[in-house]
Order: sequence, then structure tokens, then C-alpha cells
Amino acid sequence: MAADPNASESVAEYPPELSRLPPGRHGLPREFVVHNQRERLIAGVAEAIAENGYASTTIAHITRHAAVSRRTFYEHFASKDECFVAAYETVMEQLRERVANAFDEQEDWPHAMRAGIDAMLGFLAAEPNLARLSMVESLVAGPVVVERYDAAIKGLVPYLEAGRKGRSPEVLARLSPTTEEALVGGMVSLISRRILADRTTELEDLLPDLVEFTLTPYLGTAEAVAIARGA
Amino acid sequence: MRPPPGRQQLSREFIAQHQRARIIAALAEETVARGYRAVTVADIVRRAGIARNTFYENFSSKQDCFLATQDYAVDEALRRVVDAATEVESWQARVDAGLAAFLHYVASEPALARTCIVEALSAGPASLERYEESLQSFVPLFRIGRQVSPHGGELPETLEETIIGGIFWIIYQRIILGETEQIEQLLPQLVEFALIPYIGADAAKQAAA
Repeated sequence: MAADPNASESVAEYPPELSRLPPGRHGLPREFVVHNQRERLIAGVAEAIAENGYASTTIAHITRHAAVSRRTFYEHFASKDECFVAAYETVMEQLRERVANAFDEQEDWPHAMRAGIDAMLGFLAAEPNLARLSMVESLVAGPVVVERYDAAIKGLVPYLEAGRKGRSPEVLARLSPTTEEALVGGMVSLISRRILADRTTELEDLLPDLVEFTLTPYLGTAEAVAIARGA
Repeated sequence: MRPPPGRQQLSREFIAQHQRARIIAALAEETVARGYRAVTVADIVRRAGIARNTFYENFSSKQDCFLATQDYAVDEALRRVVDAATEVESWQARVDAGLAAFLHYVASEPALARTCIVEALSAGPASLERYEESLQSFVPLFRIGRQVSPHGGELPETLEETIIGGIFWIIYQRIILGETEQIEQLLPQLVEFALIPYIGADAAKQAAA
């Protein structure tokens, strides 16, 4: 995994022991150091929360995982909540980018959906701490994060709505206004359940099920199944 | 029911159940008013009009009371759904009747609905897990649809979980938007959504109409 140059932006690629800067004068530009600290704190909060849960996580847990001082923590964030929101935003940004890139690479909508779902499952399965942070702990982290979570899920709706384009009038007539919302909700709920049950490693197995589920209203069962199975 | 004349002889069991129900209703109202974290046992006791001791005779803590509230609402919802579903014949009609009963329950108990469908998700890991378990209890009702589906044997194993998750997500959104009272209007859309994977979009649309 470390050999993949495209994965180098992932925050979980910086475990504290590897990313820790040498002590003392290292001659690195201040901006680089500050950026590095912030990334470590973000990875640190994800690890600390995976270990303790959101409510029990303290700033001491975070700074230990990030291998920075308490003072450094407060140079970047005013509170645990603020650090959490930053981590949440970082994860969601990466997730959004992966999904968008995978989706855009495909020629037609059904295969773009498949690629987008695949990218999402792949990202979450490879980063269990970030998966838990974004899909489970975000719900218990207070109203500010819950609102962002809701908005992020709604952000998936346009990917499905794109499936309406070019469908016959008969197909369009039978799609209800809440179709996309329900499909997205069902998909996210299934993923969250697996993460909550500590079955994150099984996420990628859900690909055919979720592809079939989301494509069926637009394409009918036969075509949806074919694409779900890799046609 | 009219109370019997003369001196009232209510059984201990009746009183205990009644108290429990009052505490549960009070917890739901306080949770909606303040948010779960801010609610205290004192708030619940005050709202329920009972003694603090009575609360602790029924529940060990605020969290215990919250989990019991979730259990109570799920049992009651399931009972209503099953009662409504057994009154009709076909599976399609049962999904329709069951969902109608569920949405009606949500609309008629807005505080309880908000507590168990919205607040439960953010009230801590125990209640989130309880919430997820409760969704699971609706799976068998949908799963029967595999018997009427022309491709029932090939449907994804996760289908029912995903459908239920989608339905609850829609309900969650409507509650957040303050549209709980109009939630029954969603019935045809949700029935259609649930039926499509089993019987196809055209038949689902007809069954939902």
C-alpha cells in the first residue's frame, strides 16, 4: 500500500512513529512543520477515538497518538471538538474526491455508479479508523458534526439523480421524488452498520449488493444484476 | 374505561406499568426539549410528576431509561405493524398496511419518534447499537417478499437491511425538517421503494397506488 504514490495524501499513511520529525533543530521550514503537526493531530484524533470512543477521548489521548505537545495541540485547535471537526472534514474531503474521480473516469452512468461505490467501500475498508470516525463517531460528536454528516450524505444524491438522464418516460414516471434519498440512505445505513459492528474488512464484499440495489429502480433487475456482477 | 365506583383498588402491577409509561413519555419530551446530553434525571422526574425514588425503582440511570424507551417504542411499533399486516392477504398489501401503521405511529407520537429515530443515533454507543438492532427486527416482515419475487432466490443477502435503512433515513430527514405530522403522505413512495427490488418498478407502482 505504501508503494502507491496516489495514496500518499491519506492521513492514516502517517503513523506517529514514522512521521515524527527529528527533535531539535531540523532546518525545516516552519510552514512544513506546522502542516505536518496538523496532519499528525488529525491522524491522532482518529486513532484515539478508535481506541476510546468519542466521549472518552481526551486531549491527552490525542497528543500521545500524534506525538506532539499539549501546547502544540492548542496552537492548532481550541478544543477536542474543533480537532474532531477538522479530522472529519479531512476524511470527507478525501472520500468525496475518491468517489468523484472514480465516477468521472467511467463512460456511462451505471458503470460510474459501480466505480463510485467501489471507491467508497475501498477507502473505508483500507482506513478502519477513519471509517469509524466519519460514519459512526460523527453522530455522537454533537449537532455541528451531525449537520455536516447529513449534508455529506445528501451530497451523494446527485450521483444517483444522474441516472434519470436519458431514461424513457415510462421509467421516469415510476421514479418517485424520494427515490435517490432512500437509495443513498439505505446504502449509507448498511455501510455504517458494518463499521459499527467492527466488520469494516467485509465492506468491499458489499459491492455487488449495493450496485444492484441502487441501479434496479433505473435499469430494472436484469441489467442491474449484470452490472453488479461485473459486466 | 371508567374506574370502578368506590375506593379504587389498582393492582401494584397496574401502577408500576403506568409509572413506567409516564417516565418514558417524560424522557421523550425532555429529550426533544433539551437534547439527550442536557437532560437530567431531575428533569424527567419533574416532567413525570413522580418522586425521584420512583424513578430509581424503575431505572438505574438516565441511559437505562433511554434504552428502555427505545425498547418500548420498537415493541409498540412492531406490534402495530404486525397487527395491521395480518389483516390483509397478499405480501404487497401487508407491506403497505404495515408501513401505513408505522408512519401513523410516528406521526401520532412525535416526541417518542424523534427520541428513538433521531436522538438515539447521537445519544452514545449503547443507544446507537440498540437502534441498529431494532431496525433488524423489521427484516423478517420484508424477507417474505422473496417468496413472491420471480427472482427471490437471487436477491442480495443484504437487501432487507438496506431497504429498512433507506426508509428510516427518509423518516429521520422528515423529522429533522419538522415534517413529522405530514409523514403519512410518504406512504406510496416508501411502499414503492420497498417493493421495487422484489417485484419490479411497474408492479411496485401499482401496488403502492
